[in-house]
Amino acid sequence: MLSLLNELKGPITNGLLLGGLYGIIGIGMSMIFGIVRLVNLAHGDLVILASYLSLVTMTLFSVDPIFTLVIVIPAMCIIGFAVQYYLLNPVLGKGMNPPLLVAFGLSIIFQNLLLLIFTPDARTLFTSISVKTISLWGFLNIPLVYLVDFAGSVITIALLHQLFRRTYLGKAIKAASDDEGAAQLMGINTKTIYAFAMAIATGTAGVAGVAVGITFTFYPQTGPEYLIIAFGVVILGGLGSLFGTFLGGLILGLAQLLGAHFLGPGFQLLSGYLILLIVLTFRPTGLFTKV
Amino acid sequence: MTKTLLRVQEIDVFYHDFHALWEISLEVEETLVVSIIGANGAGKSTLLNTIAGVLNPSQGTIEFQGKKINGIMPYHAVAEGISLVPEGRRVFPRLTVLENLEMGCYIPKARQKKKEVLKKMYELFPILEERKNQLSSTLSGGEQQMLAIGRALMCEPRLILFDEISLGLAPLVIKNIYQRVKQINAEGTTILLVEQDIQRSLKASHKVYIMQSGRIRLEGKPGELSQVDIHKAYFGM
Amino acid sequence: MKLLQSGRLYGIILVMLALVSLPYWASRYWVLIILLFSLNLALSQMWNLLAGYSGLISLGQQTFIGLGGYALAVFSIYYGLPIWLSIIIGGMVSALFASLISAPIFRMRGVYFAIGTWTVAEALRILFSNWKYVGYGMGLFVKPAYALSFNTIYFTALGAGMASVVLVYFLLRSKLGLGLMAIRDEETASETLGVDIFRCKLTCFLISAGVTGAVSGIFYLNNIFIQPNSAFGIDWTIRLVFITIIGGIGTIEGPIIGSFLYVFLHQLLSGYPSVSLLILGIIAIGVILVAPKGIMGTLQEKLGFEILSPRRR
Repeated sequence: MLSLLNELKGPITNGLLLGGLYGIIGIGMSMIFGIVRLVNLAHGDLVILASYLSLVTMTLFSVDPIFTLVIVIPAMCIIGFAVQYYLLNPVLGKGMNPPLLVAFGLSIIFQNLLLLIFTPDARTLFTSISVKTISLWGFLNIPLVYLVDFAGSVITIALLHQLFRRTYLGKAIKAASDDEGAAQLMGINTKTIYAFAMAIATGTAGVAGVAVGITFTFYPQTGPEYLIIAFGVVILGGLGSLFGTFLGGLILGLAQLLGAHFLGPGFQLLSGYLILLIVLTFRPTGLFTKV
Repeated sequence: MTKTLLRVQEIDVFYHDFHALWEISLEVEETLVVSIIGANGAGKSTLLNTIAGVLNPSQGTIEFQGKKINGIMPYHAVAEGISLVPEGRRVFPRLTVLENLEMGCYIPKARQKKKEVLKKMYELFPILEERKNQLSSTLSGGEQQMLAIGRALMCEPRLILFDEISLGLAPLVIKNIYQRVKQINAEGTTILLVEQDIQRSLKASHKVYIMQSGRIRLEGKPGELSQVDIHKAYFGM
Repeated sequence: MKLLQSGRLYGIILVMLALVSLPYWASRYWVLIILLFSLNLALSQMWNLLAGYSGLISLGQQTFIGLGGYALAVFSIYYGLPIWLSIIIGGMVSALFASLISAPIFRMRGVYFAIGTWTVAEALRILFSNWKYVGYGMGLFVKPAYALSFNTIYFTALGAGMASVVLVYFLLRSKLGLGLMAIRDEETASETLGVDIFRCKLTCFLISAGVTGAVSGIFYLNNIFIQPNSAFGIDWTIRLVFITIIGGIGTIEGPIIGSFLYVFLHQLLSGYPSVSLLILGIIAIGVILVAPKGIMGTLQEKLGFEILSPRRR
């Protein structure tokens, strides 16, 4: 029994830490899903777009990836605002398919733009922490970058939580998603509010993009991989709940690494997909939502 | 002679393809309580929604404080000084009582006065202060109605519109609420309210309009209208 | 039938004659274009059957492309079966797989269904990339296809394209089609009238899977080389979605227009695949924002113009 625990301590810890990264990837999608009932099929590509933005900033200013957040986050917010305001708002309420298809179109546009600009070569955001491992309590070795990702995720989610609890914008977003008509009666321009919500969501994609970039290699078509991860996280954790999404990330991370441990490294992604398919079949509203 | 605050002239309103309102004209003078009475489907809610900007008239004009407001978006009505308490209350279920009230003063010029207006609201509806940190979905029907009214008052509107505030509430609760309505009016807010209950609104108003099938059939002061005339207009006979 | 009486039928026959005789008077470039057009037509008719008529937005048709293509490869190479038989087996394997996953997949609605189908395809992509029997990620060469002439492949593809239009046309005029159109217009109401929604959708799902698998076999006759990343890749769905959206979702003529536009654009920009997809994406978004019914749908709406009407008159 003890030897099993010892054998599993690596996958479990790494799974949980990786889960933090998955959580931050999923937060943006969870927000949009909860607010405007839209699944942003371009979310994964937005994350990768942010990774490339960070790459460009790094190259231009010769800074560490973490510092690129100063530029990446605002840039992503602006992109998100514009996308929602000009492309998605016009098709909201015209049925379920048009928003899905517009998002799908965006996904293709982003991927191919990135392909044209950056070529299909795999990239990564080099930083000194990418290769270090630290030793916890002498018996646990974890990659430092996973820890940094996890911390970044927790900080971002905590900040988001405060935004929704304390600011007028945050409460207006909740109000607009509860009852759009009543929100308008309060003087809230709901179309603009949705754009701000999307801006926040893409801002988190910005953080996720930098985290992904320092942890893994990426290339223009990595987006869909992270889309499925984001979707998995959201489904596992339940819609619109910040904390639930974070938990969903942890579960997915655990499932992936335990799957990889028992079945082989090629099966890491597959384990995640299997879990997603199972949950989709039996509890698509999420494991933690009160039905 | 009190000034006319709201003037509606010959408006026609379509709800999708349905011709809901026909040549509606009415006037609401300052500091009055004006009622619109009618049976289900008479078009009362449609009229209030049009004044608040949720719907737009295809013909005719709406003037508020001398300014044309037909065709505005609903979120501009608040800035003009009109606030609507919608049918069915429609409080925000995921927000607390306090947060709901805060949404009421969302517009910038109301935010600065939040603290003092909040105090007044708690005096008017003490139960809201008691439950201020509770989720609004946990409140009873009557409490939610008070919250909806309080929320609409947070932006200190010149004209407040009430859409069937007695719907689904017990008689005692309704009596309670109408007492507050009187208080609100006494403090200077003009009120335009919509009701199905004839007696209740006759008691509470300075002027009534009776609607049927999208038209105004009768108007006048409650004391001057006969029961027979009122019933004839209400039922369209 | 009104079709027989109208002059349109003669126009259609003329076009078909031209296409059938194409290899004898046109350049190879154009024969290739029509070949690709026919294959894309068949595939997009099937996607349209699901999305435009059954209300099932599937982002996972590449599942059946991969299965059909690999069935062709495996059965013709390893078992020495005749090409035609292998293609048919490819269709059957796809339909079988579709029926296997139908139980869980149909529990998913709307966007869940979309992502679910996508995930299945991705899972297969990983499985096939790690499977020794099919050559891992390096794929297989369908050597038996070398024995076929280009013209043979062309005629097969053309036949498949035309057959798909005929299939959809008669499907929609059948009882199944009536049920589908009721579902499309008002799903809940149609159920109360006795339309078995599940069976309707399942039948369409199986048909679409089977045809897609078989058509994929024909594609790989021309392509020769199959590998998991492209066979199970999302690019297939991208093409089909855009073709159908731009051409006109929920119309029979839509995929015809869309396929032709797509193949033409693709060949025009053949040196720059990313650019063609980029432009396709921009056009698609533009269409959704401005004319959501696509070219054919908007024509139908504004001018009452229909070439192949599934309506019974």
